[in-house]
Amino acid sequence: MYRLRVILLKEWRESLRNKMVLFGVIFLPIILVGMSVYMIALGEGANDPVAQIIVFNTSLMYFLILPAIIPLAIAVYSIVGEKDQATLEPLLATPISDLELFLGKALASVIPAVVVNWVSFGAFLGITRLLVGAVPLQTLTLPWLASIFGLSPLLALFSVGVTMLVSSRASDARAAYQFSSFAILPGLVPLIIYSSQKTLVDLKLVALEGGVLLVASAVVLYFAIRVFRREQILTRWK
Amino acid sequence: MIVTNDLTRRFGDLVAVDSLNLKVERGEIFGFLGPNGAGKTTTVRMLAALIAPTSGEATVAGLRLGVSNREIRQKVGVLTETPGLYRRLSAWDNLLFFARLHRVPSPEERVERYLKMFELWDRRDAPAGGYSKGMRQKLAIARALLHEPEILFLDEPTASLDPEAAKVVRDLIETLQTKERTIFLCTHNLDEADRLCDRVALFNQRLITVGEPQRLREEMYGRRTVIHLADPRPGIEDALDLPFVKSVERLENKLVIGLDDPERENPLLVSRLVELGAQIQFVNELRVSLEDLYLDMIGGNDVPA
Repeated sequence: MYRLRVILLKEWRESLRNKMVLFGVIFLPIILVGMSVYMIALGEGANDPVAQIIVFNTSLMYFLILPAIIPLAIAVYSIVGEKDQATLEPLLATPISDLELFLGKALASVIPAVVVNWVSFGAFLGITRLLVGAVPLQTLTLPWLASIFGLSPLLALFSVGVTMLVSSRASDARAAYQFSSFAILPGLVPLIIYSSQKTLVDLKLVALEGGVLLVASAVVLYFAIRVFRREQILTRWK
Repeated sequence: MIVTNDLTRRFGDLVAVDSLNLKVERGEIFGFLGPNGAGKTTTVRMLAALIAPTSGEATVAGLRLGVSNREIRQKVGVLTETPGLYRRLSAWDNLLFFARLHRVPSPEERVERYLKMFELWDRRDAPAGGYSKGMRQKLAIARALLHEPEILFLDEPTASLDPEAAKVVRDLIETLQTKERTIFLCTHNLDEADRLCDRVALFNQRLITVGEPQRLREEMYGRRTVIHLADPRPGIEDALDLPFVKSVERLENKLVIGLDDPERENPLLVSRLVELGAQIQFVNELRVSLEDLYLDMIGGNDVPA
């Protein structure tokens, strides 16, 4: 646990000095919170209930896209950055275990993604209350909250697993970032379907998406852990 | 300190290290010499418990490879070919990170001591990416030493440095040798190996030879004394009838004479040459460079008869 914490702190310290990572962690949430608030304001003014629901669903979708996107930059730079700086070998020459290194890298991306998403959601509620007057009842339902608090960590895990797999084969951070962005799309498809629903998101949909993400994350993380072995890193990684 | 027994590593069909048998003693600086692609880095990676051998076995710091890998990594320090520093982090943060990974007691104090020892204390808060090559290499060596390892693996420590920085690093390596610390130095800088190493191994996928540099030279070429004459005196080499003289070769005004024990035989040799009328200007020992030995054994020179 101690070495895991050491890795986590180092990753965050490095991320704080990386503009690309900071953009993904700070500016992207600000933009999406702004868009969500705008959507809610738009929905409140709509006369057609179906249009209103679609707008509210789209607003929710932003908070499910964020936890999938935020870890991309952190995870890509965490791995491609190590390759670029040739720091992997000195790191692997320490008594750290393969699993500690993997978990350290993975959690360094997952934790900020989930925390930033929840904070963004809180900010969204606060700003909506200030600007629109009140948060529409249709948005503070159990399925919404279950989506944001239950699905976010799973989305972040899935995204990190995919990014780590992609980054292990990439030597260029931008290419890894772009490829990872495409590779996580299957995890986001059900969310895109949400936003086109003419009914509000219900618990059954959330549970289904949760189940799919759980299985997908387990598969992706299984392969990522296999790739994250000392021997593999030193002899197979590009 | 390091004992290997038929240590072998293959990558598919490629044999990178073939049946390496080696014994490195505690406290010595051991040079591991070979051309690029000889398998030096693969050997270091195996001995530092970073990759597994395909076959064979080894003990490192008294621990068996493959059984106590984590403990081995705690007892060895590795300087990789490139310094491998976190460029955005300061020297202080770089070292503190590794000190904590090694669970060094009072890591802050240890980092301070090493930064001061390596004269990096004044630049401790500057990002490592802004350091000169020499400073980066010093920082990387400090990182490899932080947990005070029993064995220090140095892989081409001066390879990419300018002569001034290389000298700083070489001087530093000399100061690192203690009775308790073994230094395993991979290099193809033969002058460096000659100056620093107690023993060297010539290696090119297989171990070619191992020994003290001077002894290897003597075994390969014998010992030779060079006599510089003021005038050529033709035929004097034929008149040199001393029983201990193994060979005589004339090179213009010089005689190159093969001997077994020059310390004892040189005075007799000089007396005899003076008796024969030679006017001797200088007497010195012919030193064959480790480079010649290396090229002869690895390939590239004609092997002397």
